[in-house]
Amino acid sequence: MSEADVAFLQRLAPPTPSSYHRLNPFTKALAAVAESIAAFVIGGYVGPLAIFGLAVLPAAAMAGVLRRLVRVSVVLTLPIAISVVLISVFTRAGSTVLFTVGPFDATVEGVDFAGQVLVRLITLSTAIGLFGLTTEPRAFVFDLERRGLSPQLAFAATATLEAIPAMLERAKVIQAAQRARGLDTEGRIADRLRGVLPLVGPVVLSSLTEVEERTLALEVRAFGRRGRRHLLWTMPEATWEAPLRWVLLAVLVVIVAARLTGAWPAIP
Amino acid sequence: MTAIALAGLVHVYPEGTRALDGVDLEIPAGQRLAIIGQNGSGKTTLVRHLNGLLRPTEGRVLLDGRDIRSLRVAHLARQVGLVFQNPDRQIFAGRVRAEVAFGPRNMGVRGAELDRVVGDALTAVGLAGQADTNPYDLGYSRRKLLALASILAMRTPVVVLDEPTTGQDARGVARVQAIVAALTAEGRTVIAISHDMEFVAEQFPRVVVMRDGRIVDDGPPGAVFAPERVGLLASTGLVPPPAARIGARLGLGATPTEHALLAALRTHRR
Ligand SMILES: Nc1ncnc2c1ncn2[C@@H]1O[C@H](COP(=O)(O)OP(=O)(O)O)[C@@H](O)[C@H]1O
Ligand SMILES: [Mg+2]
Repeated sequence: MSEADVAFLQRLAPPTPSSYHRLNPFTKALAAVAESIAAFVIGGYVGPLAIFGLAVLPAAAMAGVLRRLVRVSVVLTLPIAISVVLISVFTRAGSTVLFTVGPFDATVEGVDFAGQVLVRLITLSTAIGLFGLTTEPRAFVFDLERRGLSPQLAFAATATLEAIPAMLERAKVIQAAQRARGLDTEGRIADRLRGVLPLVGPVVLSSLTEVEERTLALEVRAFGRRGRRHLLWTMPEATWEAPLRWVLLAVLVVIVAARLTGAWPAIP
Repeated sequence: MTAIALAGLVHVYPEGTRALDGVDLEIPAGQRLAIIGQNGSGKTTLVRHLNGLLRPTEGRVLLDGRDIRSLRVAHLARQVGLVFQNPDRQIFAGRVRAEVAFGPRNMGVRGAELDRVVGDALTAVGLAGQADTNPYDLGYSRRKLLALASILAMRTPVVVLDEPTTGQDARGVARVQAIVAALTAEGRTVIAISHDMEFVAEQFPRVVVMRDGRIVDDGPPGAVFAPERVGLLASTGLVPPPAARIGARLGLGATPTEHALLAALRTHRR
């Protein structure tokens, strides 16, 4: 293996992080999906908060990413949360009016609905955020490829993931060039938004060029040939992870079925 | 017209490189000034402060006596046109014409006037026939000239050129020289970073020498490239232009340009 290969492999499985980081990517993905779906189908407050407090938070603490996770999910969900709360508090019909703002009545029912949406949103965003913070995206794609995802699809996914940092860098460079020629992107929000438009074309264009070059580079190495290929790298996966995933899946199926059939009564 | 002053300018990049370490410099309006110095001495970092693309860690940048701290890049771009060192970090449009029109359009130029400034700038750099070409189909030296044209079209009172002759053949260098001369004739300030000592000595009445984020010498080419200062210049990893070296070897004193060398030879023979 060359030095570059060693560095590459180390990047896929960084040495420092926790045992949670070292879980198989597929296990972490399944946990995030199961937690999110369960939070939504169980509904109420207790269910989603229990998932949040007993599953997501301890895992995040174990992975040592608690603070970052809170910050990331607050930033990501705040805009949605605010609009959901405003809309449901003030537009949901209800009998008991709590208070009035202008022409809008805030009802108990509206506040309750907003609260329920909010706890689901918190559970969803932290569950998915935890996956994102503890998983190298390319490791996830590699693992899926190992599990039978088509190499072409895996390539498309990896190319997209890898194009993102390059795209952000390119956007920064172009923005500097455009500002230096009088495009105002620093002022009021309106200026900033207007400044984004001239960016889109060039950034997309240069990314397309890059992906095209990469595709050509792969073509000349017989990427398009049929048949299985070998990965030069084994994914971390403890022996108990596969059973754990089945358990997660089974629990999820039971919860969904119980809620759909009404066998499980709604809890507050 | 715009006078430039830098006072105690320090710039530390986020990851810790102290690229500018206390720079004081005054450039009167209409002056033509060259900045020389080894790679990494801070030349690019210095000029990127003139239009606010970089902001001082310490110290001030003044345009016409006014601190530019609170002014936006887009606003400063009307006064200081900066041609980037690397054209590929400056060019973004899909057509040569659109690239050149971008700056003046942002400054409110429209219609026939816009066509005229774009046409003039392209003609000045010799790309008038390529207006509809994709910039990436041009070679490196022509992309550099396109980057120059896109700044010329903005007709700013200050024009900064970051290594304009790099990658140019003799004709390209001659074009750049003609452009610099024309800008000066219009009373505009021209600041050029260059490794081409001949270009510097022939074209610039004032030369600023940088080393490790500081200005270590500042004067006319005759002084900066004088035999007495060869040691100082060498400490920055630079050598004087050929004419100056020959003059020094022959004991003719300071002969920064071919012209000066010939004149000194003539006087000497008499
Ligand atoms: N964007 C940047 N981030 C970090 N360091 C930089 C950056 N640009 C330049 N430097 C560093 O700052 C110093 C001065 O660089 P620069 O101004 O580009 O010098 P010059 O133009 O004279 O070659 C160098 O040590 C360089 O590595
Ligand atoms: Mg430079």
